[in-house]
Amino acid sequence: MKSTRKIISILLFAFSIVSYAQTPQRVTIKGIVKDNDNNEAAFATVMLLGPKDSTLQNFTQSNEHGAFTFNNVKNTSYLLKVSHISFLPLQLAIEPSNTAINDLGAVAIKPIAKELFEVVIREAKAPLTIRGDTIEYDATTFKAPPGSTVEDLLRRLPGIEVDISGNLKSQGKDVKRVYVDGKTFFGDDPTGATKNLDANTVSKVQVFDEKSEQSKLTGVDDGVKEKAMNLELKEEYKKGSFGKVTAAAGANEKGVFRWAGRGNFNRFDKKNQLSIIAYANNINETGVNWEDYSEFKGQSTFDQYDNGDFGFSSGRGRYYSFDDSDSPMNNFDGRGFTNNYGGGVNYNFDNTKTKFNVSYFYKNNNQKYDQFNYKETLYSDSSFFNYDTTNYSDYRQNHTLSTRIEQIFDSNNIIIAKANVRYSSIGASSLNNSIYSVNDIDILNDLFTNNSNGKYSWRLTSAAIYRHKFKVKGRSFAVSAAYNKNPGDDNEDLYSLNRFFINAYEEIIHRMSAKDYDKQQIKSSLLYTEPLSKKFFIELFYNFNTINNKVNRQITDALNNDIRIDSLSVFYTNDVMINRLGGDVRYSYNGLNIMLGVAGQYLQMKGKYSVDKDMPLLTEPINKSYWSLSPKFTFTYEFPNNMWLEFDYGYDVTEPSFEYLQPVPNVSNPLYRTEGNINLKPERTHNIGFDYHYYNPASFTHLGVNSSYNYCANGISYNHNVVMTDSIGIVTVSTPDNNSETHNVNSWMWIGYPIIKTKFTNDWSLGFWYDNSGSYINDVFNESNQYRYYLNTSFSITPVSKLVIALSGRASLIDSRLSINTERNQFIQSYTAGLSLKWQFTKKTFFESNFDYKFYRTSLYDYDENIPILNASIRQLLGKKNNFELRLAAFDIFDKRKYIQQYSSQNYNIRSTAETLARYFMLSFSYNIKGYETKLKKDRHFF
Amino acid sequence: MKPSSKRTGISFKKVNHKYMKKALIFMFFLSLIPFFSGKTFSQQTEGTIKYLTTYDWVKMLNACDYLSKERKEKISYMWGNRSEWKIYELLHFTAKKTKFEESEESADPREDDGYSGRKETFFMTCDFENNTMFDAITTLGKVYLIEDSLRKPDWKILNDMKEVAGHVCMNASLTDTLRNQKITAWFALDIPLQVGPDRFFGLPGMILEVNINKGACVITAEKIEMKKLSTEFDLPKKLKGKKISSAEYHAVLKKFYDEKRQAEEFPWGVRY
Repeated sequence: MKSTRKIISILLFAFSIVSYAQTPQRVTIKGIVKDNDNNEAAFATVMLLGPKDSTLQNFTQSNEHGAFTFNNVKNTSYLLKVSHISFLPLQLAIEPSNTAINDLGAVAIKPIAKELFEVVIREAKAPLTIRGDTIEYDATTFKAPPGSTVEDLLRRLPGIEVDISGNLKSQGKDVKRVYVDGKTFFGDDPTGATKNLDANTVSKVQVFDEKSEQSKLTGVDDGVKEKAMNLELKEEYKKGSFGKVTAAAGANEKGVFRWAGRGNFNRFDKKNQLSIIAYANNINETGVNWEDYSEFKGQSTFDQYDNGDFGFSSGRGRYYSFDDSDSPMNNFDGRGFTNNYGGGVNYNFDNTKTKFNVSYFYKNNNQKYDQFNYKETLYSDSSFFNYDTTNYSDYRQNHTLSTRIEQIFDSNNIIIAKANVRYSSIGASSLNNSIYSVNDIDILNDLFTNNSNGKYSWRLTSAAIYRHKFKVKGRSFAVSAAYNKNPGDDNEDLYSLNRFFINAYEEIIHRMSAKDYDKQQIKSSLLYTEPLSKKFFIELFYNFNTINNKVNRQITDALNNDIRIDSLSVFYTNDVMINRLGGDVRYSYNGLNIMLGVAGQYLQMKGKYSVDKDMPLLTEPINKSYWSLSPKFTFTYEFPNNMWLEFDYGYDVTEPSFEYLQPVPNVSNPLYRTEGNINLKPERTHNIGFDYHYYNPASFTHLGVNSSYNYCANGISYNHNVVMTDSIGIVTVSTPDNNSETHNVNSWMWIGYPIIKTKFTNDWSLGFWYDNSGSYINDVFNESNQYRYYLNTSFSITPVSKLVIALSGRASLIDSRLSINTERNQFIQSYTAGLSLKWQFTKKTFFESNFDYKFYRTSLYDYDENIPILNASIRQLLGKKNNFELRLAAFDIFDKRKYIQQYSSQNYNIRSTAETLARYFMLSFSYNIKGYETKLKKDRHFF
Repeated sequence: MKPSSKRTGISFKKVNHKYMKKALIFMFFLSLIPFFSGKTFSQQTEGTIKYLTTYDWVKMLNACDYLSKERKEKISYMWGNRSEWKIYELLHFTAKKTKFEESEESADPREDDGYSGRKETFFMTCDFENNTMFDAITTLGKVYLIEDSLRKPDWKILNDMKEVAGHVCMNASLTDTLRNQKITAWFALDIPLQVGPDRFFGLPGMILEVNINKGACVITAEKIEMKKLSTEFDLPKKLKGKKISSAEYHAVLKKFYDEKRQAEEFPWGVRY
């Protein structure tokens, strides 16, 4: 046995020696690259590839005689590849050589048809793909006009001929068969596909040799090859549609029916996006949420922020005018109950040169609430109290049509134009009962008002911006123009009944107010930037702005034959014209940006007041002009490690508004009267801002500070005169004046860091707000100091991907100090502790819940209220593709939700409360075209 | 399509051949830009390639396999036509070494908005003679100085041809498992230098185009300028950073990519 083994091993050894001798470990591979006509091909790229995966092992270049050599390479199987400009790449399998030199001899390469090479590679710049003898290229680079058939496209392609009857020839030979995506199309007639298919559906055209039909049938290769063509269709990955629809119904235990429905549908392709959206509910969703809104607006979501009011390159946008007040987003204020419905349609066209959007939205809201106010008004070591009960209801609707176009002519010229038209109407009625008391116990008087109004208005805003860049780098010019118009009318029915209890007495006032107005604005701006060097720039800008306001407010006495009350009726025109010229020098280089500038502004205000049109003027016309000069400084610096610092200083001069100047009093309530002051001076304000951000992408930590400080030397505020009048009660007359210095600080700090990366993170934010102002209350100066402190923290815990837990805590403290009556300073505390939980407990079942416990404390008024809010829901995805969702939800399980607001202002402390939608249960069913995600969202993404 | 009929083939080939020879002689005598040649002239071959690099962040997110389909679809819908940003990058090359860096010229007209951001410390150098590399890359807010021997990528040679910057190129592909990228490179058949942009080199011809993850990043040669280089290869005098080997640098990246995968966030903060 042993000997046998020995023999075998010896034999094996001997065999291995023999085989070693036959196939050397290293080998030299050489050859000569030649073309079809046996000419040597110089400077061809010659590569040795791995035979299985074409991995590059070695490469060289043939010399001027076409010869190439790979010296001393591993003796194994290779794929030899020879490439040369304008030749078909050649692949040749090489087996391990038995000799040390493997001479391949002549390696022949075939040229690529000249027309293909010149037209496809050189002219169309399209890639040629070579698969053996088949060459294909991207047919989309040969544009056929829209509506063309494949036949029209083929006529344009190099190497292909199409005769009158549509027969195809490639390289002079008839094409016998045409496949579409590799499959026969309409039988054997090759023209079936080419005559019927749209050219724009084809992405690639392949022509290749195929065994004859005969040899396919018999299985015997007769050597006859026939030309065949394959049309590869485009992958329409950018085309599609998506959408979802939800219907929900529910009730509370008292049987009040709750319902909601919403749906959206989008269709899109590479350039076009069309979407529709609709919603209706009675669960206080007054509009759509951000997610639905951004899907609705698509690529135009962030297009509304163009600003044509050029100024300092980082100015605070004083002339910014496109407000977003008619956004279709949910903006419920927390009070009462609402019925809502609305919907819209949006279209976007978006390619590299042109961006176009047109959008229409209709919104209808009906709100009803009962609100209770408790208010203490302070004056000279004394105060009075109000208990107000208001029953309010309104009905508002608006239609908004907006459009925007952005056209890039070339990289140096761009135009943006936009317009927005809105029609809105509001009908509201408000019943209010206000009890006045000086000591919080005895009732002085009781004012009952019943006001209703109807308001209609149109609004047009439009603007165009043109930007041009010059050839000199950094030199640019921009011009903008805008036209805004806002006419409307308000009609009010004002009824009040005032009952006095000291001297039993009643007074009824019933007035009708009819106001129509028309506001018009024309403005234009210019901006020119000139580079002084690579790092220094000069910017010059000019703003022109004119506003014409025309208001006619006629107040009649409904108790006295609708005779006009001259003392309250007014017809006025206000005109403002602003000319502003400014310039700055800017340094910008490698993360350091410094700007120093100054702007001069000339503002003219003209106002004329009479009782009605064609009546004599009530006072001398207001004719004021203000000249001001404001400097501006900004400094931003980007540190090397994701750290940014910004500092800015500005000085602003703000003219008093016409509301302050107006010489005719505004009386909407017999106990409050607001007068104007024609002698007001403009406010002069210094602003300082500071910003710091730090982000560490490696440790997932971020930190930021944002602070601003404003100082105004002569701030405008209302002086109040509180007079006890036996016949009327407590009357407050307010007059604006340049009263005092004001200081305002607004500061935020935030930090976020992981305790365990990706599993456990902690965020903090800290806010401080300080406001100091003053005014005279019954000729005594009242200094108001308001301090607000905010502290938020949250812990987000994701132990496994199927469970997301968040813990949060919030504290908000308001410390209000009024010098006029220091004993009535109030300290308002509110705290919230929260817990939210998302748990995917089976693949398609999700449990979601959040619990907030809110504490409200105000010791001055012994106010102490705790509100726990618990919501919970369970949802189940259904269907193979998870297209359906069934959700059962319970809102505010403890039935405690309530609107609460507390603050202090000027010379009063106030607390408002209102009932709102509390506990209800709801079952909803949703369908999503694309299917729902079967994963928990981590809710950290903005879009 | 089959190659053209024999007649066309012959005439074309002859013209081409004559042209090449003429061009060679012409260039040899002028001895200006002899980059058609092989090893004989390659040592004198030097210059700068200007690449236009286009990033498309929607495509970058779409190539990220762990982000949810819903999120990718939404981002594509909202930003799909506006997600590109462009920069110019320069490759200074000789037959023996290269240096790749960002150009000071801005490629994106939108960038001239009056704000200048900080330029990150970045360059990549290859020394083919000594088979070494030295890169300075700002990664996660930190400068890493990566010094190591050169390792050739495992290129697979493909079978497509196209023209880039006036040169006929063939393509090759590469899979980067660390960054989860599929890369296609186009190398010139008439410039036999194994140089290329970014971390790509080692093909039989100069790499004139690189396409990462189906267009998420496309680096295309816009201009090839043959010129005598002087200070282009100089490194910044002050160069602060953490010295690290290639393997250690890859470990830093690997850790970060893994964490971002766990957090289901795109790995912003590192070079794509």
